[in-house]
Amino acid sequence: MRLHLLAGFAALVLAGTTLADTAILGAVVHTMAGEVIAEDSVILVAEGRIQAVGSALDVPAGYSIVDAAGKVVTPGLIVSNSQLGIVEIGGAATTVDSRVREHPLGAAFDVRYALNDAATAIAVNRRDGVTRAIVAPQPGNDPFAGWGVAIRLTDRDILTSVDVGLFGAIGAATSSYVGGSRSAVVQRMRRGLEQAQRYRASSYNPGPGDFSHADLAALKRFRGANVPLALEVHRANEIREAVALAEDFDLDLIVLGATEAWQVSELLAAQRVPVVIDVLANLPSSFERLGARLDNAALLSQAGVQVVFTVGDSQNARWLRQVAGNAVANGMEHAAALESITRIPAQVWGLEPGLGTLRPGAPADLVIWTGDPLELTQWAERVMIDGEWQDTSSRQTRLFERYRDLSSGNFGYR
Amino acid sequence: MKHLIALLILAGSLASAAIEAREPFASSYTPRVAEDVVFRGASVLTGTGEPVATTDIRLSGGRIAAIGVDLPTTGARVVDAAGLWLTPGIIDVHSHLGDYPSPAIQATRDGNEATDPNTAQVWAEHSVWPQDPQFPLALAGGVTTLQILPGSANLFGGRGVTLKNVPSRTVQGMKFPGAKQALKMACGENPKRVYGSRDKAPSTRMGNIAGVRAAWAQAHHVMQERERAAAAAANEDIAAAAATPGVPPPAPPAPDLAMDTLIGVLKGEILVHNHCYRADEMALMMDIAKEFDYKITAFHHAVESYKIADLLAEAEICSAMWADWWGFKLEAFDGIDENIALVDAAGACAIVHSDSPVGIQRLNQEAAKAMAAAQRQGMTVTEADAIVWITLNAARALGIDAETGSLEIGKAADVVLWDGNPFSVYSRAQQVYIDGYRYYDRNDPDRQPRTDFDLRQTVNGGAL
Repeated sequence: MRLHLLAGFAALVLAGTTLADTAILGAVVHTMAGEVIAEDSVILVAEGRIQAVGSALDVPAGYSIVDAAGKVVTPGLIVSNSQLGIVEIGGAATTVDSRVREHPLGAAFDVRYALNDAATAIAVNRRDGVTRAIVAPQPGNDPFAGWGVAIRLTDRDILTSVDVGLFGAIGAATSSYVGGSRSAVVQRMRRGLEQAQRYRASSYNPGPGDFSHADLAALKRFRGANVPLALEVHRANEIREAVALAEDFDLDLIVLGATEAWQVSELLAAQRVPVVIDVLANLPSSFERLGARLDNAALLSQAGVQVVFTVGDSQNARWLRQVAGNAVANGMEHAAALESITRIPAQVWGLEPGLGTLRPGAPADLVIWTGDPLELTQWAERVMIDGEWQDTSSRQTRLFERYRDLSSGNFGYR
Repeated sequence: MKHLIALLILAGSLASAAIEAREPFASSYTPRVAEDVVFRGASVLTGTGEPVATTDIRLSGGRIAAIGVDLPTTGARVVDAAGLWLTPGIIDVHSHLGDYPSPAIQATRDGNEATDPNTAQVWAEHSVWPQDPQFPLALAGGVTTLQILPGSANLFGGRGVTLKNVPSRTVQGMKFPGAKQALKMACGENPKRVYGSRDKAPSTRMGNIAGVRAAWAQAHHVMQERERAAAAAANEDIAAAAATPGVPPPAPPAPDLAMDTLIGVLKGEILVHNHCYRADEMALMMDIAKEFDYKITAFHHAVESYKIADLLAEAEICSAMWADWWGFKLEAFDGIDENIALVDAAGACAIVHSDSPVGIQRLNQEAAKAMAAAQRQGMTVTEADAIVWITLNAARALGIDAETGSLEIGKAADVVLWDGNPFSVYSRAQQVYIDGYRYYDRNDPDRQPRTDFDLRQTVNGGAL
């Protein structure tokens, strides 16, 4: 059983005193559960959950009414493969907790203990409609990077579930950890998964270069859990290797990066392997990514592959809208692109049932937009997480307020 | 009409200056023969601040020849542009294409000569790989002109170059005729980190400033020595008569390529483009420019320009900024989404730059984000304002605004035809013209340039 059920319950109890039952009226509602309600829409939120959504519903007495006529409502946006809460400033090493470089901790690494509820980027991204994040470790010294968690972008109690995936990478970056060959990366992963099967602490005596006790124990735990293996892989032949590995060890695979995934879209669709991609990463920026193209998402989506979007910069999970918009500009269906930042990531990462949709019973994460959320000329007006309206100010808006009128001569500390 | 003639004369002199001067690595760019084109009924943003209007535009001889309703179409290819948008070609003042090409491996990393805090002698153009596949990607995003700058590891990174985004075997074939070179300078974290980590100066911000001032002081000294030597050489008699008996006349100073660059700035021949994030550091650099009598053309990155927008307006210094990058390093921690609009509102020159081979492909979207962020705060910013950030103001900062950057009669026909409002995320450049030649056409595979590197191992890049 996943921890998120318990954590989610705890959060509701904590926040319960400020929850008001709410009715949102008149917006164009993208439920992401199969319908768009354009006429006379009503969303009822009670006790932190979507109570009902439909056209011309009766609003029970006592609900606070929000007029959203002319607006658009979607579920909150979900960013995947992020470092929100574990990196404050990428260029300031003492604020980076996303990877382990010198200490030998690979599969056993877990980001959960470094999560910072007060990370500056949380409010910045919440202001733009991001309500959930998959927080993942980054490879630091082993092809297995460790375990990721799921968070909500609230001001406190952000952790909602642990063990959302075991992360790793096959490619030039991780091959340097194992002597310099991609082949050695795959061999090491396979060896680890095999050894984990029969691992017993008392009978295992690791030599130099062998998996540590901690890493093998973690891999053993992974093999016994129903948790996806999320591997960053870009080149087509390596994606095929990752799929073969998942098949041989009977694992659920998620491919991150997936630059050349369009070349193996049939395989990914047949094996039901989701991909997590940044549409804007269309550069042949390495010899693993020569097949990069802007319509990767469109091609994969059309082939029936589950597509999830991420962004190239954890500080800016809010770029999800731009990523999805550019996917549409390059051939993806609008509805599919919206799913790739709401319903599909929730499903792929095994988040709380209903998340990423506005169907009854789902946690009430939603955003009221001024218009089409994929258009960069529109913005988020109000953001709700677990039924609670969120503060949409940030450190950035406070800086703006301080400097918006330079003629005042009042810059705060003078 | 006077205006047109003046522009044509200026354009001509820009072009001939490059040919006449026996400068090394002179531009060998020549415009391709361009057909006459009339865009019929386009939504036009001229880049001059005028609001969008539906009108015709005629390109002739590589120039903007006419703007108006119901233009005659004799001798022209007619493009039905109803529902399409026309803007000036996009200009990026901060790019490293060719210097940091794709693929990005050690063998191709040629953007930072990080061996000394002052490498004013190096030229970014000498690292440009014209076959970088990122050039045509930028072209597909509507970029017609771009400035390639050295990196920011050094206080003085070297000279930058302005290129036309045209396919070419040589960098000389891309060089914008008549455009001045840049001097790339850098404040803040990068120089002090790069050299501090080697136990070498600068290792602090005060070390940065000392290094910059020492170089400018030396530049003035060498410039005076050269002037004295030149004067002496020009009139040996006078020099001989003035000389004290027994004291030899002053020897000309030794050649110094780095000093050539700095003295070029002091003489106004080279434009200073200064990487600087923080407001307080920009203010220090502005004082240094006063002390040593040179002009800062633009601060780049400038994430805190909004804190000193009034000072920047007064000093007539442009700010080249990102729409929403922030927090990736401490000196970018105070970046805000309203930066660009606040700088513009203060009457200072605001530019959206990319510094990124990804961002350069959609500067129109970056401008859209900056516009929307300001509107969200209740500021009045229009599409007519926002297009200037990626066209005319960028041209101003490169000193080429008499030649390109706006749709005005007589200017170069650097034009982008968009398949919708360029501030919509769904719109894409449909045709891109440089000096009137259609280098890119989304509907014509023969007008989608591919570099040598783009020729794949397999016929279709891995096969669908």
